[in-house]
Formats: sequence, C-alpha cells, structure tokens
Amino acid sequence: MADTPIPLEVRNITKRFGDTEVLKGLSLQAHKGDVITLIGASGSGKSTFLRCMNLLEQPNAGELIVHGDPIRFKETKHGREPADWNQVVKMRAKLSMVFQSFNLWAHMTLLENVIEAPVHVLGKSRQEAIAHARELLERVGLGERADYYPAQLSGGQQQRGAIARALAMDPEVMLFDEPTSALDPELVGDVLKVMRGLADEGRTMIVVTHEMAFARDVSNQVIYLHQGQVEEAGPPEQVLGNPRSERLKQFLAPKH
Amino acid sequence: MIDLHGYGPRLFEGALITVELAVLSLILAIVLGLATASAKMSRHWGLRRLGTLYTTLIRGVPDLVLMMLLFFGGQIGINMITDWLYAQFDIDIFINVNEFVAGVITIGLIFGAYMGETFRGAFMAVDDGQIEAGRAYGMRPWLVFRRIRFPQMMRHALPGLSNNWMVLLKTTALVSVIGLSDMVRVASEASKATREPFTFMLIVAAVYLLIASVSEWGFARLQKRYDIGYGEEN
Repeated sequence: MADTPIPLEVRNITKRFGDTEVLKGLSLQAHKGDVITLIGASGSGKSTFLRCMNLLEQPNAGELIVHGDPIRFKETKHGREPADWNQVVKMRAKLSMVFQSFNLWAHMTLLENVIEAPVHVLGKSRQEAIAHARELLERVGLGERADYYPAQLSGGQQQRGAIARALAMDPEVMLFDEPTSALDPELVGDVLKVMRGLADEGRTMIVVTHEMAFARDVSNQVIYLHQGQVEEAGPPEQVLGNPRSERLKQFLAPKH
Repeated sequence: MIDLHGYGPRLFEGALITVELAVLSLILAIVLGLATASAKMSRHWGLRRLGTLYTTLIRGVPDLVLMMLLFFGGQIGINMITDWLYAQFDIDIFINVNEFVAGVITIGLIFGAYMGETFRGAFMAVDDGQIEAGRAYGMRPWLVFRRIRFPQMMRHALPGLSNNWMVLLKTTALVSVIGLSDMVRVASEASKATREPFTFMLIVAAVYLLIASVSEWGFARLQKRYDIGYGEEN
C-alpha cells in the first residue's frame, strides 16, 4: 500500500475567470479506494474544481500529480498551459469522467461509445474491447441496449451507459460531475445504485453531487466548498452529521 | 433519333470535362472550406483575419471576373516570374496556364469561400459536450476531429454542401470563356454551325439536370448516413 503512488493529488489549485477568482487554493488527495464527495451551493466552484483535475479547465496555479507523475506546466501569452500535451492525454486516459449531461457520442451506438476510447486511445483490439464492453453494459443493466443510439435511451440509461464507458478505460480515478442532476427523480436511483456498487468494489471516485444521502452513505470524505474555498472537510459522519460551520448547517438544513 | 450532325462524341467529351472539372473543384473547395472554417475559428488573430479577408474578397467579386483575373492575370504573373528568372539566373522555362487547371483552381477558390461559411456554421452547431467527452477520454485533437467533430459536423453541413455543389456544377459553364471545351462550349459551337440551338441546348440542359438529380440522390443517402443516431423525431 505505502509503496504505490497516490492515484490523484491536487495542491493549491487556483482558477480565475476574468477578474473573478472562483477557486482559491484547493487541495485534495485521493488514495486508492477513496470516495470523495464535493458538495456546496451552485457557484461554489465544485464542478470547476473537478474539471481542473483532468485539465478540461486550466488552473491558473497549483499542482496536479496523477499516480505520482506531476503534470508540467508552462507560461504562455494565453496563460498557464500544460508543457507537454502528450502527458495530459496519458493522464486523462487514467481519469475517466462522467458528465452531468452524459455526453455520450450521439452518432455512435452504446457499444461503440464504450469501445471508442479503449480502441483508439488505449490501443486495445476491437474484439477484446467489445467483449469487455458487453460485460460492462451487462453490469450497468444495459446488456440488451448495446446497439441502441443514445437518443433512443432514457436519461438514466444514458448515464449508466456513460458509466460503462468510463469503466472501460480501467481508470485509476473516476470523476463524476453531478451525475444525477439532469435526471428525472425516478431515474436517479438506478444510477446511484451503480455508483454504490463501484464504491463497494473499491473504485477511487471523486463525486460532485447534491445527493446528500449518497455523500453520507457511500463516501469516506466530504468536502464542503464555499466561494472557491474549503469551508469544512472530513468524514461524512462529522461533516454531515455534526457540522461546525454555520453556512454548512444552513446548506444542510431542510429547504421546506 | 435526334441528328447531332456528328457532334455527339465531342458533346460527350465536353460532358466528361464538365463532370471532372466539377468534381475536382468540389474536392479543392471542401479542403479550402475546412481550412477557412478552422482559420476563422482559430484563437490566432492573424488566421481569423486571413479567413475573413478570403471570404469577403471572393464572395464580393463576380465569379466571371475572378476567373478572367486568375486565368489571364495568372499567366501574366507567371510570365513575369519566368522572365525575371531568365534575366537574373539565366534559367529559361516557360509555363503555360492550362485551362483545365485554371478552371479547377478558380472554381475551387470561389466555392472554398462559400464552403468555409457552411462548415463554420456546422462546426459551431456541434455540442461542446461531445467534444469535451472526447478530450476527457484522452483523445488527441486530430482523433477528436476525425471521430467526433467531423462526423457530427457533416450532419449540419450536408444541406449547405449539397446546395453549394449544385451552384458549383452550373458555374463550371463559365470556363468556356477561358477556352475550355466543356459541354456548353461544344454545344454553343454546334448550335452556331448547324443553326439548331434547341437540339444542343436542350441536350445540355438535360445532362445538367441528370447530374444534379444523381447528386441529389447521393446527398440524400449521405444525409441519411450522418443522421444516424439522431432519430426521426429530430
């Protein structure tokens, strides 16, 4: 355990959009098997923080260390950018992301979506990728839907398909960006069930969510963000069960 | 049967030239169009300006004027360069602007500007989330382009592309002014010689119509292919 590098470590990330500083020095360590949930009001910076982890957003400062490998940056006239995009591409292949709006590729069937990156990014054989993809689709309850196009599936099915696509990369860490926020309430349950299963088998996950029950039951660390800063962090029983911050108490209080 | 007064084989050759000219110009126009769209969407200020300059210039000048400028002006330009080479370095070469090549370049250049606008709109219609998913899964820019951006863009581009192609096809008739024996020029010579304009011009009209119908069928099939996954309801 002690010898294997930490899957993902983020140190002192800051991010500005124009004059607004949206992330004010955020850090996080995801050890193997950790399920970390990021919670906070909209505008607290939780999604931006997550998107900085695979560099879909470029942080203005801070360090990013993936499996012991620090990402190198350089200053350009467009701001700070990765020095070596090859390194970024390899890093991204280790962190798969599940999006709020699913973002399954619309012109491909579910099966094609799942094998796309394993074949074209990881260089797996098509046959091997298809066999693996069928297993994964079976697992998320979509074995029968492999040849459907995303538009022919419900939101919940699309999101479970997107999780299968993420799993197909055999990722070190899975990043979930509000995976249930775009779903009808009755479809949320199936997606959360799949995510619980992943947590149970020891997947390392970082989840931006509004599902407090999921944060409480599944994660081992909860980080509450407020205006780009960590307001409170710790195990769920402490952060959610016994919050110290007034803001967090208000955030957790029933809204009705 | 219709009496073609022996012009049949030349008309057929002319029709082939028309088709070759149109297809090669289309390929050049697509390549230029993709490049123009990329330039206009680039984050580099210079490239954006260059793209805008190109489309403004081409779309603001009549096709016929451009063709004569490029064909005659091009020959003069090349002569000036070869004269200079001869005077300075004693290198003696003579390059004659070939009518066919000049035709392809001119029509390709003109329609590249229109294609550029078609492609730009189509690229912008692709949902950012689709591209982002590709990047998030470790795809390099070229792979994202080839596997996601291009196929999704084509769905939006095809109606405009097909429209541009139809106009391009008919624009090829202009090359007769620079002396290329396309179908229209042959027919026009034949009409004058035989005093039977209806015979020849109707044939020419029918051939254009035939090419247009075949392409329309082809574009409909392509559209069907690129619409896959979007369902009939969209």
